[in-house]
Amino acid sequence: MAPLSKKFSFLITEFKNKLEECNSYNDLILLKSNYLGKKGKVTLEFNKIKELKVEDRKNIGQDLNSVKTEISSLIDDAILQSKNKKSLTTASNFFDVTLPGKNIGHGSRHPISLTLESIETILAHYGFISVDGPEIENDFFNFEALNIPKNHPARDMHDTFYLNDKMLLRTHTSSVQIHTMLNEKPPIKIMTPGKVYRCDSDPTHSPMFHQVEGLYVDRNVNFCHLKGLLIKFLQEFFNNEKMEIRFRPSYFPFTEPSAEIDIKFKGKWLEVLGCGMVHPNVLTNVGINHKKYSGYAFGIGVERLAMLKFGITDLKVFFENDITFLSQFSDIR
Amino acid sequence: MKLNVEWLKEVLPKIPSSTKLCDKLTSIGLEVSNFKKSKLGSIIDIDITPNRPDCLSISGIARDLSTAYRQNTLTLKTANTKIQKSNNIIKSVDKKISPIYTCLQINGINNKIKTPILIKNRLKSCGITSINLIVDILNYVMIELGQPFHAFDSDTLNGKLTVRFSKKNEKIIALNDKKYTLKQDTPVISDNTTIQAIAGIIGSIDSSVNTASKNIIIECAHFLPELIRATSKEYRVQTDSSYRFERGVDPSTHEYTLLRILYLINKFTTYQDIKICNHSDKSFNKSRKRKINFNTKQVNRILGKKISNSEIKNIFKFLGFNSNQSKDKFTITVPTYRFDISNEYDLLEELARIIGFDEFKPQTTLSKHIDSKIKPIICTSRKIIPSLVSRGYNEIKSYSFLPKEYQEKFVSKQSINIIQNPISEDKAEMRTSLIPSLVKTYQYNSNRQHNNVKIFEIGNIYQRDSKGKIVETNNIAGLISGQSSEASLKLDSTTLDFYDLKGDLISILPTIIFKKATKSKFFDTEVQASINLNNKQIGFCGEVSNLLCKTESVENKIYAFEIALNQEIFPENIKYTQISQFPKIRRDLTILIDDKIPGNDIIDIIIKQGYKYLINIKINDVFYDRKFDETKKSISLEFMFQNKNSTLVDTDVNFVMNKVLKLLQKEFNAKLRA
Repeated sequence: MAPLSKKFSFLITEFKNKLEECNSYNDLILLKSNYLGKKGKVTLEFNKIKELKVEDRKNIGQDLNSVKTEISSLIDDAILQSKNKKSLTTASNFFDVTLPGKNIGHGSRHPISLTLESIETILAHYGFISVDGPEIENDFFNFEALNIPKNHPARDMHDTFYLNDKMLLRTHTSSVQIHTMLNEKPPIKIMTPGKVYRCDSDPTHSPMFHQVEGLYVDRNVNFCHLKGLLIKFLQEFFNNEKMEIRFRPSYFPFTEPSAEIDIKFKGKWLEVLGCGMVHPNVLTNVGINHKKYSGYAFGIGVERLAMLKFGITDLKVFFENDITFLSQFSDIR
Repeated sequence: MKLNVEWLKEVLPKIPSSTKLCDKLTSIGLEVSNFKKSKLGSIIDIDITPNRPDCLSISGIARDLSTAYRQNTLTLKTANTKIQKSNNIIKSVDKKISPIYTCLQINGINNKIKTPILIKNRLKSCGITSINLIVDILNYVMIELGQPFHAFDSDTLNGKLTVRFSKKNEKIIALNDKKYTLKQDTPVISDNTTIQAIAGIIGSIDSSVNTASKNIIIECAHFLPELIRATSKEYRVQTDSSYRFERGVDPSTHEYTLLRILYLINKFTTYQDIKICNHSDKSFNKSRKRKINFNTKQVNRILGKKISNSEIKNIFKFLGFNSNQSKDKFTITVPTYRFDISNEYDLLEELARIIGFDEFKPQTTLSKHIDSKIKPIICTSRKIIPSLVSRGYNEIKSYSFLPKEYQEKFVSKQSINIIQNPISEDKAEMRTSLIPSLVKTYQYNSNRQHNNVKIFEIGNIYQRDSKGKIVETNNIAGLISGQSSEASLKLDSTTLDFYDLKGDLISILPTIIFKKATKSKFFDTEVQASINLNNKQIGFCGEVSNLLCKTESVENKIYAFEIALNQEIFPENIKYTQISQFPKIRRDLTILIDDKIPGNDIIDIIIKQGYKYLINIKINDVFYDRKFDETKKSISLEFMFQNKNSTLVDTDVNFVMNKVLKLLQKEFNAKLRA
């Protein structure tokens, strides 16, 4: 084959220089299109053939074709190389599936959040709507409206943090129920997840912990409905339909009858939640006619359920936030 | 309350084995927390709820059990003595302290006799130490019947007893060897000169009965529960006596309990003569007789189970509730020992617990959605969390508290909420930002060899507005420090900095805008920004200040953000735009420009021109080249062009690119880089 004309060999030299300058895959693609694309330099030369004399067309055409072939093969090789540069799958004949993936690392949800979320998901399925309210409350919402007058021994069950004479840190999320019942008319079916505070700190008590309380006020709500819901809830939460569950009488000023629920765990009864029929005084306090409506309420201790679910034995670890602890939950999404 | 099973058998002889007994007690609401057999007998620990002071005695528990087993109790033996009345014991009684107050005076008693071993052991099994015969008998009967007593050595008294409110600064040295200087209006028992007891709570050491005492006065009173509770709290003294009085002690059994004491005294020792004195408020006695109308239809409505009228009547009878029945309607007279029964619901609870909660069949038919106007919580956080977690962040939960005076350094004191009774000095204030908690958590982990940290927390912050009103805001905050990831295959790990944080934020909240900021709460360098949404600041981010780092002894550079979540951050809806079928053209432009010109200013000014076909523009790279002026930086811009209706031609794009270059030359004195 005759040597290429000067013009065409320059085209190749110029191309080779530009190829050297390419730093990325994108550069290569751009370069390819600048030469071989619709408006590319080589393509434009081909277009010019039509304007040539017929006898010249053949030689020029052949030359152009070999230019195109050379440029194509150079650029395609470079593109392929660039593509494979970082690909271990083609660098060796042996494909090693066991090498680590290019993982930037996955974080984790806090076990309390995970527990809160699964509690809320189950209750939402039974029609409970999630509402929230302030953590700093006054005496009325936290105590008085809930049938816990001043100087009542039941206040001993709630060691309370005070900000001043009037304001306190809520000791339960029942205060949110009062806000809702004052603002809405029955039927009311709500759950109130959130932080609560008790002035208490030892291995089994934390000054701050989490609760989800539930409230259902409607016509003809009775104790058997409460039992039905909470048995279902516990079975679903622990994913154990055969779980042994016991309801026993207890005392809360805001419910009557009141019950405490125990589950059989490793042969022992463990208290998991408190519940009862809403006390008529509470309904009266929020302007709901207790002769027309009845309701049930329950309170779930989130830390307690999280400890049982994940086998955590020390309450303290929840709030230390050691990354070694937190990362253990990264597989749950 | 510790229950000695052998002692219980004196009033309820036919009881089952202890395990069954424990189950029964728990099932009727007297929760057994512990059971053990010892030399002193079988002891059951019962957690008595605050509404059931009537069960703080053997006879009270026996009454509940007798109802559960439908078995009658035996009556304890009492003295068959007629006691002469005397006006020489009590001077006056303030009815606002004690509506019923009885004193038994015993003269010439022999208190030198040792307490019988049975009584000693039974008291010990209930956690009460033996003191002397008289005091032991009083405690013994308190456990049996629930009435607390107090004994005065009448030879130490100066005149008759008065039940009254104290004057300011009166003093008493109590049986616990502590000296109390009383505030005004503390309920007390005094003689003519001296305080002899804080009513219902504790007696004075001077008038206490010892083995040498010959003439004594036994006080049997009904003190008003709220008053005793407030006083006990005020002076921080809780005794077996105050514990019972503040919950409520049956006011109608004074004579019976005193005769029981007398029976035991007759049995174990001798005396010369006795006299009694009683002050009682008649209106109080009337008010104690409560009647409740009870409709048995309520049973099914609230409890969801039908109970026959005859069974209801039977249960009430065993519990000591007198009832008058006419068909479904009962009129119930509440016994004086049941302070917790005041309405129909209280009676329902009695029926439910005696029948047993197991008898109520669970129903799930009502587990359904209802019509409700209640708006659920705005759950912005739920949308953010998964993105942050997948970018490598660990979620933390920390206390809402910060150390005392900690925030004064960073926030104005007026806006802080301080806890009056904190659990400790380091948990004394409500936090006004989540960032200090994150820094503390970072330091905790850094001390444990975790230097690559990406954490976040969602929680409330607590502030006060200019009027002093408390404002709670739900915030999300995050912190990063260390390396981007553990170096792995072909992935280089780099030191995390502000732009990593910004990148994370943009990826989770794409619509936010960052603006230059100065001196936010926790940032003191230039490396900080305000975070804005729809022209409103919703948060801030930056390099955490030296001051805060030093406070927490953090040495590494840490970056943090905090954003308020109390609003809808994500658009509710998106309008679809037609996708263009025509190809895009990309152009790159690298310019040399003054270092102090913010990158976004360049983008903004180009966008403002509204160039035809320009659909996107972004900064690709920023770099510094020593060959050029050191006050200049190079910025690479990437332009994307597209025509919705036809294929773009180079000339269209070139036209715009020329204009862009001229604009940048004019506005920023930019130079094209070769």
